[in-house]
Amino acid sequence: MNRFPFKNLQVRRGEILKDLLGKTIDVAVQRFGAEYAEVRAQKLFKTMLTLKEERVEAAKQGIENGAALRMLVNGAWGFASVGTLNAETLKNAVSDACKMAKAASLRLKKPIKLVEAKAVEDKVSMTPRKDPSKIPIEDKINTALTTSNIILGYDRRIKSCTLDYLDLTGTTYFMNNDGTYIEQGKLYIWSRLLATAVEAGVFTFSREEIGSTAGYKVFDIETPEIVGERVAKRSVEQLKAKSPKGGTFPAVLGSNVVGVFVHEAFGHLAEADLTLSGSVLLGKLGKKIASDVVTFYDDGSIEGAFGSFKYDDEGVPAEKTLLVKNGVVVGLMHNRETAQKFNAKLTGNARAEDFRFEPIIRMRNTFMEPKDHSFEELVEDIKFGYYFKSFRGGQANLDGTFQVGIQEAYEIVNGEVGAPVRNASISGNTLETLLKVDAVGRDFELWPGRCGKGQTAFVCDGGPHIRVKEVLVGGSA
Amino acid sequence: MVALKQQEMLRLTEKAVNLAQKRGADEAEAYVYHGLTTSVNIERGQIARSSRIIDRGLGIRAIVNKAIGFSYTNILENEAAIEETVLKALNSAKASKPDKDWHGLPTKKTFSPVEGTYDDNIVELNSEDLVKIAAVMLDTAEKADTRVFPIEGGAGASYLCKAIANSNGVEDFDHGTIVECSLATIAKEENEVTPVCFEFNIERKYDMNPEWVGKEAVRLAVSALKAKRTETKNTNVVFTQFALQQLLHFTLINAVKADYVQRNQSAFKGKIGKKVASEIVTIYDDGLFDGGIRTWKFDGEGIPQQKTPIIEKGVLRNYIYDNYAAKKERKESTGNASRAGYLSTPNVEATNFRIMPGNKSPEELISELKEGLLVYFLQGAHSSNPASGEFSVVATPAWKIENGEITYATKGAMLTGNIFQALTNVSELASNERKVGELVAPWVLVKNVKVIGK
Repeated sequence: MNRFPFKNLQVRRGEILKDLLGKTIDVAVQRFGAEYAEVRAQKLFKTMLTLKEERVEAAKQGIENGAALRMLVNGAWGFASVGTLNAETLKNAVSDACKMAKAASLRLKKPIKLVEAKAVEDKVSMTPRKDPSKIPIEDKINTALTTSNIILGYDRRIKSCTLDYLDLTGTTYFMNNDGTYIEQGKLYIWSRLLATAVEAGVFTFSREEIGSTAGYKVFDIETPEIVGERVAKRSVEQLKAKSPKGGTFPAVLGSNVVGVFVHEAFGHLAEADLTLSGSVLLGKLGKKIASDVVTFYDDGSIEGAFGSFKYDDEGVPAEKTLLVKNGVVVGLMHNRETAQKFNAKLTGNARAEDFRFEPIIRMRNTFMEPKDHSFEELVEDIKFGYYFKSFRGGQANLDGTFQVGIQEAYEIVNGEVGAPVRNASISGNTLETLLKVDAVGRDFELWPGRCGKGQTAFVCDGGPHIRVKEVLVGGSA
Repeated sequence: MVALKQQEMLRLTEKAVNLAQKRGADEAEAYVYHGLTTSVNIERGQIARSSRIIDRGLGIRAIVNKAIGFSYTNILENEAAIEETVLKALNSAKASKPDKDWHGLPTKKTFSPVEGTYDDNIVELNSEDLVKIAAVMLDTAEKADTRVFPIEGGAGASYLCKAIANSNGVEDFDHGTIVECSLATIAKEENEVTPVCFEFNIERKYDMNPEWVGKEAVRLAVSALKAKRTETKNTNVVFTQFALQQLLHFTLINAVKADYVQRNQSAFKGKIGKKVASEIVTIYDDGLFDGGIRTWKFDGEGIPQQKTPIIEKGVLRNYIYDNYAAKKERKESTGNASRAGYLSTPNVEATNFRIMPGNKSPEELISELKEGLLVYFLQGAHSSNPASGEFSVVATPAWKIENGEITYATKGAMLTGNIFQALTNVSELASNERKVGELVAPWVLVKNVKVIGK
């Protein structure tokens, strides 16, 4: 007697899909003459919650199946995305994608080429610490409600809180005509908490995010009490904060702000597609752009981190990539197309949000390496400046102009952290600012977040505390 | 392009609603969305990519004992998958908590006609046609100036359709088209790189001017060269529609949403009938705006879209509502429920947020300024304080105005202030209305904005 009928059925289903993907690749290569053919398929399941105060707006569950076909024909890309995984639909989609590529090639100047990648056959299964798909939705609602109540109960001046929760589980399938076939288990857990406080016409706003690829166990560490209090406390403390002065000041950046600074101000410019578009890092490989204490990594292999995965969406293993070493640019983040152009090693940075998108170069877990300063040492020599502890948002431009909005900051007066300030932001030019980093702390933290570049990617960023000789502060006082 | 037919979509929604009721829902609503987008992309100076994305699916809201469950699927060809989705919505509702403010799904209303939202010519566009549009932009740009590099852009055509049904008898279908083309550029000279400059066309009818887009994207990038630092002072700022949309999207537009007001997150709470802006400011949320990017017959809950006065001559008149927020106040929805296709439950959103234009041409407006800043784009608008309206952003690119003329590009100037304060300082509105995202607006002159230069 077969004791595992369900398991066998799963295996058989997997093989039917593999067979279908294989046929699709064959058609692309044999009938349409594709130089490169790739099919990604997904079978994913999501659970989502939105709570506004103590009200569960809706408990949501969804299925997202689909396939993304990317073909290189006559040196140009064609892409088709469909939400149906059957033979008929895939047959039409492959024809669509190849015809798209041919149309795009009409005005091509330089044909696109890809660097060679090692063929991989692998099946990556997740070993979650508490599998979210096995936790009843009632439990998830109760945890969310507990968090919401902790935030609202923290202080009577807290007037609203919004909590979003998402978990995603399932499998992605990747096949290309180089002989690569990868089945990869997927697991993401994400939550965002927003709190607003109001007093005497002053509105404050605070945000926290939780993100993990390890499992639902993240809520045993980031418990409702810990995270709820963190977000609530900040919005209440900001009520008595003052506006910062506008102008150039010395600053200490907390690990959370360093993370977004590394990500926005440097990271995007080192995504090789944006470097080629003319970012200020073009032509800077091997050159010194930052002070000696600056070392940056983008690492896709940190276990359980929100930006980690084994293979990227081109089937390339995710590496730990050294970007800046002691102030010198030593690497960029690549996909197969840019690695060919730069004659560089693959890094595994090609990511697609889902079957609706083409893989593009994205960061994973991006951070600055810690050094030797204590927090006191970073602050002690500053007569007047700011301690920027936590960010609200950030944005970069190819010319190196960056902006990071700050949700928690303090004055530094005579070497000591002083009064809180609110609604500050910092800006500057990446290349000028990196040379002004004059001391790096010994602490280290990674923070989960989401990054937008036409599509969303789950990432982490972080680092130690650092000191910057001067940075432009946008303040209204 | 092949799309699901109207009857097919309506049949699906009806079936899902009936099934949900049969399986124990007190109320149910089904929404089917189908989108087809064909696009051609410019990447680093060449057309190198084309794509077709077909996305369709069904979202179901089921209400059991005043608790709301939602589920969606993009497997539509399989009866079992639809049944499973209905059951998931019901299970979610049963697992959830009753909402005392839930007063039922909307009932059937009569629709106003909408104009200029569908064009057969867009449906018929294929990738070869789009390559031609993109090539015109690219060729124009390349011929115009060798210092300019077209980094990205392209042309795209979308056909979107949606159907809705609920257990109160709401049942309807609408479809529409969108065509767009855009070009992003940078200019390089010696060691200088400009910020990214951008121009685009977006229309519901096939009416594109790719040559103008190419020319403008180049003109902006070239004039952003030789940027200089500017001084720190309070000055006149002219916001173009891009900068305005970035700023208002995260501040003012949230402040007029009824759910933000009800939840104490809006600085406009209790301000209906009060003066909140300078007298020359009149704003409508116009869900019926001819050719508007967000003009549809009905909103995400099947309620007719409408034109709602928001601010008239500086006085706050209305907030915008979906069904839930409206019923909480015993009011009627203003048709502002928005959905992310089949993937989400409805949320209050602006439709076409229209700031009424003035009479002066943008050139006249600039010529009358002794001093100021012309701001095209902002960096960091999303990090504004959404509740208080305080912003602290970078203007990239922006140009200095001196004695009625645009004199030079500024480098990394920051703007800080409060959007609600800024509204009362609006002193001129130009006549050059255009659509950017949900915003329909002219250039807007705001007095006394703090600019931090160095």
